[in-house]
Amino acid sequence: MALNPTEPKWSLRLPADCSIAAIRNVYELIREAFGRQERLEIDCSSVDKADVTSIQLLLSTAKTGEAQGRPVVLTSFSQSLRNTLRRAGFASDAMLDQHLPQKKDGT
Amino acid sequence: MSAMDPTEIFRQEASELFEVLEGALLDLGQRPDDRELVDSAFRALHTIKGSGAMFGFDKVASFTHEFETAFDRVRKGEIKPTQELISVALAAKDYIRALIEDPQSTDDIIGEAILDDLKRFVSFDQPAAPAVQIAEAPPLVPGDSKQAGWHLYLEFESHVLRNGSNPLDLLEDLCKLGPCFVVPVTDGIPFLDEMEPEDCYLKWDVKLHAACDKDAIDDVFMFVQDEMKLTLAPLEQVEAPAPGPLFRLLDEEPAPTAETVVAVAEAAPAPVAEQPAAKAEPKTETAKAEAATEPKAEIKREAAPAKRDDVKQERGIATVRVQAERLDELMDRVGELVIAQARLTQLASSGSDLSIKMIAEEIERLASSLRDTTMGARMVPIGSLFGRFRRLVHDLSRDLSKPVEFVTTGEDTELDKTMIECLADPLVHLIRNAIDHGIEDNATRAANGKTEQGRIELAAVHSGAQVLVTVKDNGGGLNTARIRAKAEEQGLIAAGAVLTDHEIHQFLFHPGFSTAQTISALSGRGVGMDVVKRTIENMRGSIDLSTRPGQGTTVTLRLPLTLAIIEGLLIRVGEGRYIIPLPAVEECVELTAEDERSRGRNFLNVRGNLVPFLRLRDILSVDGSPDQHQKTIIISTGETQVGLVADQIIGNHQTVIKSLSKLHSDVTIFSGATILGDGTAALILDVAQLVALAQSKVEKHISEAA
Repeated sequence: MALNPTEPKWSLRLPADCSIAAIRNVYELIREAFGRQERLEIDCSSVDKADVTSIQLLLSTAKTGEAQGRPVVLTSFSQSLRNTLRRAGFASDAMLDQHLPQKKDGT
Repeated sequence: MSAMDPTEIFRQEASELFEVLEGALLDLGQRPDDRELVDSAFRALHTIKGSGAMFGFDKVASFTHEFETAFDRVRKGEIKPTQELISVALAAKDYIRALIEDPQSTDDIIGEAILDDLKRFVSFDQPAAPAVQIAEAPPLVPGDSKQAGWHLYLEFESHVLRNGSNPLDLLEDLCKLGPCFVVPVTDGIPFLDEMEPEDCYLKWDVKLHAACDKDAIDDVFMFVQDEMKLTLAPLEQVEAPAPGPLFRLLDEEPAPTAETVVAVAEAAPAPVAEQPAAKAEPKTETAKAEAATEPKAEIKREAAPAKRDDVKQERGIATVRVQAERLDELMDRVGELVIAQARLTQLASSGSDLSIKMIAEEIERLASSLRDTTMGARMVPIGSLFGRFRRLVHDLSRDLSKPVEFVTTGEDTELDKTMIECLADPLVHLIRNAIDHGIEDNATRAANGKTEQGRIELAAVHSGAQVLVTVKDNGGGLNTARIRAKAEEQGLIAAGAVLTDHEIHQFLFHPGFSTAQTISALSGRGVGMDVVKRTIENMRGSIDLSTRPGQGTTVTLRLPLTLAIIEGLLIRVGEGRYIIPLPAVEECVELTAEDERSRGRNFLNVRGNLVPFLRLRDILSVDGSPDQHQKTIIISTGETQVGLVADQIIGNHQTVIKSLSKLHSDVTIFSGATILGDGTAALILDVAQLVALAQSKVEKHISEAA
């Protein structure tokens, strides 16, 4: 699905705490953002605390976006989120790409 | 209904877990071989770690993790928990508690020092752990690599994350057993609308290339074994890692190549060898356990059936956690109801409507059972309090080099929760005294033919409407002569005055009285026993000392079951009405004309005993002339009897205690107030103060006569 640069997009920056303690709020944020705009860009640069629930939420967001034909892009994974993903077995970029649609820097 | 702050819930949960942990560690000091204790300590630690992470206490989680890791060799049974190790573990527990309760007061340096100590103790017997381990481990048979490894499939129950478990930690622990290839299975991830964000949906497929024991894998999952499905199958041989979706966990370089993976597998023999009872043939082991019908069989976990039964039993007891202030509120409401009911009863009895009387009686019955139920709900087993003294005794015994055996009985005895809170400090004083002053030093004990280990017994038992708490030591007993000398020195008694031993011992409760020759950090400053006595009396209880020279001292605390509602005797003095707590009342006698005449003496002849009496009319400054037939209520505290002269005894009364305002805090002869059926207030007389007042009058009388 090609991205149309003229299409309005909505960028959502995830909060620092995306661990289970705060995941309910993050979940509501994403659902809200989903309802607003056609295209959703999720900025993961500030994520400082992540765990299994954060990964699941991102996976579900990607899956939902794909099923509904609405592009979801994840940008700038923070080091903390990367570590958590790696601990969960998403050890390579190839693997990440398979499950999570990422926008690489400069694209 | 206000929702509780989740952090507060965690703090409360953690404080219960700390008690479990502390209890287990202390018991471990005595029974180092008890595996169940080690496991229970680990379960508590693990829950603290998991919930800590969940509630954002990251420092707690990471320190506890380090603590767990350091203590792991104890769990594996490789080293015995020594006293030193337990002391360090207790310090670590204190540090975690501080991290939770008052993070500002702690410093990372303290935590690091504790961990260093812990690591030093656990690795004491093998400074170069990995090298020694490899040397000790049976050499690997070259062919082993062919069947080394396990294929695991991990599926967690959906609530596992809420319980504080973190599958990522488990995966990491698994990786410590050997090179691991973790593949997340994302099939179960639902769409956003169907998602419960705190549920666990991810599953994992893991290939573990290590010839470790199945038990070692079970150990990793021991805390979540009831909350997951673990499918385990042996790997036939070291599979050449497929370049596809197999990735090495914790690799710093993403997208490892096949070469790096193999290199890692070969470069990490230590964890493989570390498994103490590495089975040469994991395949046969599985065959035994699973009858080998399928290559992938689900492991039925029967490792610790007893433990699981315990868990089940614990779950079977349905308990609800309620905020303490709600219980207080409930008790207040019940108090109001009892007062309203008293008014109704009074109203009904003054009328002639039978049906109203019947309803009033019915409500009286219901209110009384509601009161009992509510009081029951506030009852807490005193064992929750006893637990914390074990640590006190442990530390004091170590600091003073006096080995002490601490025995508690009657932990199930229940007491109102407010009483339990008030009781903590007095008991700390009493136990400190018992160890510091009571138990003799080793040399004296040996000289007196006593066992080296002293003994302190803390017991609680129900006795009617009271609870008796006793602190008993088998030390040297009170030195009556020294107490007397000190009392004379302080001018409390005249030299040569005739006093019984019991009377002399009462000086110990005098403010500022201490016979300790040296002031230690623990006791000897003379603050303590008077504070203890005051606290106990504020709780409407009494304290009593008994001692046998050379054999020890027993301090007995008598406490009412509750502070909120008491049975009282309602009396009238002039126009005012007063309540005397019923447990203190011994009997009621009429003041005879003969007693009446003996104005100056104020003594009553009760079956040959002379009992001093107080005219409440005089004490309460009541005007007018007294009733014709005055009544005397004999009250007592312990052994001292005092008569109180009143105009009329109205009857017994369920007394809902209302505390007096601060303005009345200097009024000593009243301990509180209550509201009567007709809506008027009645004051509650403070029995201990009245007895003391009567005694001082007696002493004055005696000295005047002399």
